[in-house]
Amino acid sequence: MGFRHINFKEDACSGCNICVDVCMCDALAPNPVKGKPPIEMYPEECWFCGCCMTFCPQLEKGAIQIVTPFPMRGGFHKEKD
Amino acid sequence: MADLKITPIETDVLIIGGGIAGCMAAIKAAEEKSLRVTLVDKSNTMASGCAASGIDHIWSYIPPIHERMGYTIEDMAEDHRQGIAFGFLRNDLFYLIAETMYERILDLEKFGLNFRYKDSNVPGKFRIVSQFHSVPTSFNFDGKPLKLKLTHEAKRRGVNIINRVQMTDLITTNGQVSGAVGVGTRTGDIYFFRTKAVVLSSGRSNRLSRNPSGVDFNTRLPSPMSGDGTSMAIHAGLPIINIEFLSSRLLSACGNYCPNYGDPRNTVQPAARIVDGKGDVIVPRSEFYDWDQLGKEKFDPVETRRRWLEDRKTWRGGRATMPKRVAQGEGPFYLDFSEGTDDEIDYIAWSIKNEGKGTQFMRYFEGEEGLHLRKNSQEYAGWANRELAGTAAKGLWVDKDMETEIKNLYAAGDEVGGVPWAASPGAFTMGWHAGEMAAQRAKGQKEFLPVSDEKTKLRKEICSEILNRKRGFYWKEVEIYLQNLMDFYCGDVRGEGLLRRGLERLEYARNAPLKAENPHELSRSLEVKSIIDNAELVLRSSIERRESRPAFDYRRSDYPEQDDKNWLVFLAVRKEEDGGYRFTKIPIE
Repeated sequence: MGFRHINFKEDACSGCNICVDVCMCDALAPNPVKGKPPIEMYPEECWFCGCCMTFCPQLEKGAIQIVTPFPMRGGFHKEKD
Repeated sequence: MADLKITPIETDVLIIGGGIAGCMAAIKAAEEKSLRVTLVDKSNTMASGCAASGIDHIWSYIPPIHERMGYTIEDMAEDHRQGIAFGFLRNDLFYLIAETMYERILDLEKFGLNFRYKDSNVPGKFRIVSQFHSVPTSFNFDGKPLKLKLTHEAKRRGVNIINRVQMTDLITTNGQVSGAVGVGTRTGDIYFFRTKAVVLSSGRSNRLSRNPSGVDFNTRLPSPMSGDGTSMAIHAGLPIINIEFLSSRLLSACGNYCPNYGDPRNTVQPAARIVDGKGDVIVPRSEFYDWDQLGKEKFDPVETRRRWLEDRKTWRGGRATMPKRVAQGEGPFYLDFSEGTDDEIDYIAWSIKNEGKGTQFMRYFEGEEGLHLRKNSQEYAGWANRELAGTAAKGLWVDKDMETEIKNLYAAGDEVGGVPWAASPGAFTMGWHAGEMAAQRAKGQKEFLPVSDEKTKLRKEICSEILNRKRGFYWKEVEIYLQNLMDFYCGDVRGEGLLRRGLERLEYARNAPLKAENPHELSRSLEVKSIIDNAELVLRSSIERRESRPAFDYRRSDYPEQDDKNWLVFLAVRKEEDGGYRFTKIPIE
């Protein structure tokens, strides 16, 4: 499919790679440039547990965010306000 | 391609799979200070297995509460046998879970997990909700950091944790386990273990069916669980039960997100209900138990069970009509929280965020879409992939002390068959017991047995071949082929002709030349081999069980009736040394 769904914010990410360490699917890889955000190597192999975000020490600064793939979205009913 | 390195490791106890069961086994075994305990995980024990991103509930017999009610363990076993297991229950293992889970809760508290709440009016300040039995038996708790805490405790006790190694082979010497082989998922290197005792705890077999969302790894249960343990066990000649009970297509909450946070009467209780598009209620909401009445009412277990089974029949029956109605063009259906109070909604949100993909789902639902649980009902009829679910209770046949037919080889958690929805309580208690037993055996054995390196060499050859192959197929192509095969030839209704053709086409997948460009792809290729092994067992066992059993979603076109006289038994399948398969019927005691 070729989609990507993890957004790293380069100026917020410290490049600590804890997300790479904990990813159960091993979908991420460290950036060859030290201190830079990891690379999403295998976006089609994400289970969406969200551990990469949960463990991120820079989460509040928005260092990492999962953008839910489109085929998984929209399963809700939006009430009229 | 560089030559794959072989790393020899000697350990007294080897634990394969670092989910709840494996971590508990390691923690318990490491109490024996003289032993070296090694825990191997394909991912990272901090975030692996079904509890990777947390669990929010654990069922248990809870003496300080249930004794005051007058509810006994025997009552609980009977609830489980009738309402959850539909007769297919291993009593010995059920009692192990029910009798020891409360002690494990107290251990988990010592490991740093919180089970007690100031606002609770339940004895012990617990949060206890209804789920699997006629009275409330499930602890709700802050279980999100569970795996982190278990990992810390294991390390504190000196357990050697090896992450990112996929185990592939068991080695025996004269009928006793003596070693094992694994492959580094980031290196491709071969790990050759010599050991005195093994606990096998690699979890369920997943990825046996196409994912209708089109996002392949968005399965309900963690996608890395590829049935590696079942694959190893079958090659070691061990019996597997209940593997024919691959579910029909499940209805998942929330469109195609598969968040695994249950449904009304489950984790999202009590305020959720299921309604159809016209607002008619399919499954009504339930109510919290009135704890102020605890111990004051005269408790009649038989009448309580009768009412509970009646209620279960009604809502399960209602839910069961949904796939049929969708197939006839009716729907949609919604999970609706509009009857919930603010307190109830807060409680549910807390609970959801502690379990599985719940946190990430809420990040999507609230964060990305700006929605609210009560205001925005969620569609409840997306299709999920089929699975060997909790009801199936598929897995290894072990004795009451978790030992397999191979001496010193134990199994625990979802690796073990016979207790439907053993789930996390099964993992905590069986893991603990298996760890204790394995440690005793290892302690009692002075010398290591001689270990053949034949399987290690063969594994290295297989891996090198996949890595060096110039022309071949990427793992995912073969996985998709296999999943299509299962959905077509081993579908919601099965017949012998299709099942046999499925086996023929499975042979074609087994012979597919896999190629991998790096160790990560190699690991996935090895997973596909496990999935093929698991799929073959599902097909073969489905041919063998010549009846239908709707409670397990098991339907044969050529044997449409349930046949309790011949088939109210566990069906065990094993592979013989000559490559043939042998079936045995194990009576249910």
